[in-house]
Amino acid sequence: MENALIILFGLTMLYMAATSRLMAHIRILAVQGILLFLICYFGTEKTDLFNFLFLAFETLIVKALVIPLFLNHIVKKTHEYRDMEANIPHFYCLFISSVILFGGFLISDINFPAMKMINPVYFGVSIAVIIISLLLITIKHKILTNVVEFITMENGIFLLSLSVAKEMPVIVNLGVLLDIFIAVFILGLLVRQINKEFDGIEVSHLSDLKDCEYDD
Amino acid sequence: MMINMILLFPVIACLILCIFKCKWMNNLMITLYAILHFCVSAYYCTVGVPQQSINKYFGVDSSNIVFLAVLSVVFLAVAIYNNGYMKHEQTEPRRLRHYAYMVLIFVLSMTGAILSNNLGLSWVFIEATTLASAYLIYFNKTKNSIEAAWKYVYICSIGIALAFVGIILLTVSTGNLNTLAYNELYANASGFNDFWLKLSFVFILFGIGTKMGLAPVHFWLPDAHSESPSPISALLSAALLNSAFLVILKVFKITVLAGCEDYARAMMLVMGFLSLFITAVFLYHINNYKRMLAYSSVENMGILAIGTAVGGIGVYAAILHMIGHSLIKSSFFMTSGNVLEIFKTKKIKSVTGILKTDKKTGWLWVLSFVGIVALPPSVLFVSEFLMIKAMFYFHQYALCVLFVILLTVIMFGLAKAVIKMSFGLPHSDKEEEYEQNAKTLSFGMYFPQIVLLIMAFVLGLYIPKFLNVLINGTITGIVG
Repeated sequence: MENALIILFGLTMLYMAATSRLMAHIRILAVQGILLFLICYFGTEKTDLFNFLFLAFETLIVKALVIPLFLNHIVKKTHEYRDMEANIPHFYCLFISSVILFGGFLISDINFPAMKMINPVYFGVSIAVIIISLLLITIKHKILTNVVEFITMENGIFLLSLSVAKEMPVIVNLGVLLDIFIAVFILGLLVRQINKEFDGIEVSHLSDLKDCEYDD
Repeated sequence: MMINMILLFPVIACLILCIFKCKWMNNLMITLYAILHFCVSAYYCTVGVPQQSINKYFGVDSSNIVFLAVLSVVFLAVAIYNNGYMKHEQTEPRRLRHYAYMVLIFVLSMTGAILSNNLGLSWVFIEATTLASAYLIYFNKTKNSIEAAWKYVYICSIGIALAFVGIILLTVSTGNLNTLAYNELYANASGFNDFWLKLSFVFILFGIGTKMGLAPVHFWLPDAHSESPSPISALLSAALLNSAFLVILKVFKITVLAGCEDYARAMMLVMGFLSLFITAVFLYHINNYKRMLAYSSVENMGILAIGTAVGGIGVYAAILHMIGHSLIKSSFFMTSGNVLEIFKTKKIKSVTGILKTDKKTGWLWVLSFVGIVALPPSVLFVSEFLMIKAMFYFHQYALCVLFVILLTVIMFGLAKAVIKMSFGLPHSDKEEEYEQNAKTLSFGMYFPQIVLLIMAFVLGLYIPKFLNVLINGTITGIVG
């Protein structure tokens, strides 16, 4: 069951690579949050109730609800609904992402002594998700999409942390969650400021700071 | 108790500022915190660090006391400078209050990163430094500062997220050990799985290295340092980069104890030399003096990485270099704030004759330059000399030649800009305006730099015994 959910989680990244609508990106974030909750529910041993409740809060409330709603709000404020001009066409983007995801599955299948220390499917898919997110960050043209991809990368890292059947101290978990949440919040606020100052949220607008031809 | 005091004071100070909303309290709280911070580290420096840490998550020990002391000295100097600097800020009181909150939280998170006993907690605090300083970089609210803040938060967050991947991989390599406390990691390091440990070191070095400003992941640094207010640039360069360096050192120690240090050393050497190379290339045609100083920070972080990687007396040199760099670079950045107040531009082309316009600023500018390019009697001369000696000792002659050539090119790049700015005559049509601006600078905007430079030059001639003990303690704490 959990393997099916993990593969579904990997496939959401392909949808993200293929679509240009920002609202669809944000909906995918909510879906990923729910999938991560289900993976926690079926995958981890629920020995520690408190820890499980914390994971449920992190995935269901923060990842699936609060962050998508906040980004939704930003999209409505900035009136930017599509990210059309990617550096390469969406078809190639989809193709490359599929190859990376396939590579992730291959990693989870290799027979290597060190791989016995982790859960291979979690590991392969999460590495693939992190790499696809980094790829999409370089390809997409709107900074809001970059924020979405930052969050998918964090989701990939979350999945990776589930592959190690160990628990970090609660204070560390809380700190991590708080940091990521505030980072997304600050990035969201900056997106609005950039939209106001630069007339749009294209990445290419952010190129005033450079070493040659600097102007005050 | 002492540690709790410096960790709790900023929270209480923020609450007080939030309740009373008095304008005069903003700088007072920052200064009070700086004095408290300084007293606590002075106490630990003189009395000695406790043998066992009292707190589960935070503690002063021989490995981090030097870093704490450097942070205290730099913060105290910046707090004094800040009192004069903020008088020139014509902005609404609400924003000044936010500035005070963020400075307090920024220093709190740096202190937390330095004092934490747990790798996970260090990560949390390093990320918190990014978030707290984002507002400070954005403070001027210009188009450029928004761009700088965006790049800073985005690049650093991604870097630190990758560092978290490294931490997860490190927990994989620990096998059955379920902890991230440094002590236990050190105690069990010999049993760690090599493959995962090496992989995790790559991620942590790149991730935390982003924060430390090592090339090729340093791109946020020149933007952020050049666009933030000068006191903040000084804090970023002289304190923030060090706290990231400490985390890298602590993870490096794990690789040393686990017996895969050669690999870690090679990685650090590559990043260190790349930092020197990139600085040498970019400094040559630089035209913004604050960016110039930022690139010089990239260079010095590279030197720290090289010193640690070379090993032997190189580690001592690296710690000494870190102390010297923090003292001199913070003085340099604060003086750049004076230059900006007088000339109202960051372009090197538009600034000439600082010495004619304002003698004190001019001399501080020249002396900071002499310090940072490691001309004797600067303490950086001693540290770089020791580093070269270490390279000779380990027969790494090729590295040594490359090191010296790159440093010379960097020195030329810096000298070209500083000499052009300091000497000559100011533009005749604006001379009066410049002199008027110079008169508005208060004594507090010169005093901290003078003290810091005196410390840096005295350390170049004589290293007091207590400092030597502390540095040696750090080396035993870090390299084992």
